[in-house]
Amino acid sequence: MWSPQILLEPSSYNELISGKIPALIVPKILSKTECASLSSKISNIQTTDKKPKKFGTSLSSHIYEKPQYFSNAKTSNDFLKKLFAENTSPIISMRETISKVFQKQLTTATENGMSYSDAVIRIHGNNDSVHLHRDNSHFEMSHYNVSCLKNQLSAILYLQSPEEGGELTIFHKMWNRNDECMREPDFGYSSELIKDVKQTKISPVEGNMVILNPKFYHQIEHVNGLRNRISIGFFFGELSKNYLCSWS
Amino acid sequence: MSDIIWGTVTKIISTNSFEMNVSHQKDTNQDSYQDVEEINFTEIDIPSIPADENSRNVSQIEENLKDKFVKCEISGRNSENRLVCAVSHSGAGGY
Repeated sequence: MWSPQILLEPSSYNELISGKIPALIVPKILSKTECASLSSKISNIQTTDKKPKKFGTSLSSHIYEKPQYFSNAKTSNDFLKKLFAENTSPIISMRETISKVFQKQLTTATENGMSYSDAVIRIHGNNDSVHLHRDNSHFEMSHYNVSCLKNQLSAILYLQSPEEGGELTIFHKMWNRNDECMREPDFGYSSELIKDVKQTKISPVEGNMVILNPKFYHQIEHVNGLRNRISIGFFFGELSKNYLCSWS
Repeated sequence: MSDIIWGTVTKIISTNSFEMNVSHQKDTNQDSYQDVEEINFTEIDIPSIPADENSRNVSQIEENLKDKFVKCEISGRNSENRLVCAVSHSGAGGY
């Protein structure tokens, strides 16, 4: 059975990298009250109607715009610090938990004295989903130093559960270069790639953090209902045996 | 509007040409294209590949384009039967 491991003690990085397990779930890293307070603040941010909504800078939106990425990362890092100033910062809670889980230090990556983006908040509303994809900075963001970090993993903390749906589905199939012929022009890959592939589904339970190897194909199922699915996430990789760096 | 095709770069031929497997064609294209086409690129929207052809070399093009998914906006065919295109990377495979 290929199913996520609920984490109760320090774990091995290798089990995720090898795909022995699809994900680690670290329960209740934030309380329901803390999640509700953060979600309320996030929901009250005034924005355009772009769906799904996103706060924070992501590397994938700036693959060939490096100066713009670092400039936007500074702005978004300041914005998130201000947003979380009166709460337990979910970014700090995530970093501290990851450090404990893997027994390695974790900080946001820097390049030429400039900080990478700390995290991205994503809001998925009724009927939103995210198409089949994988994340691999080594292949796709080779102009950035984080592409040299080893063994990229992804961390997602759920801040608000939707009424229904919004599960993270992880498929037991790791990306390889030959799959590029199955790309979709705008984003992600053809669903043909994961036909008859073993899968596991993780419910977006508020307060829980999920750590996965994002080279395994994954997608977010449709959200149903009026309550948004709110999550915050970043990637991290190994700089050295005992040191991890994160980015988004 | 020019015709557009997408696909993965399989072989670098020179500092301004490559071979690609065509996986997607725009619905409103005027022409249809083979599954494998040779591309002559007149413009390339990838900062690490110099715009000036004399400043490029094949290994640099290989490093940036080999196996990558690209978008080709077609302006015609040249005398070598290559599609003359403006080339850019397309979308993202993930976040």
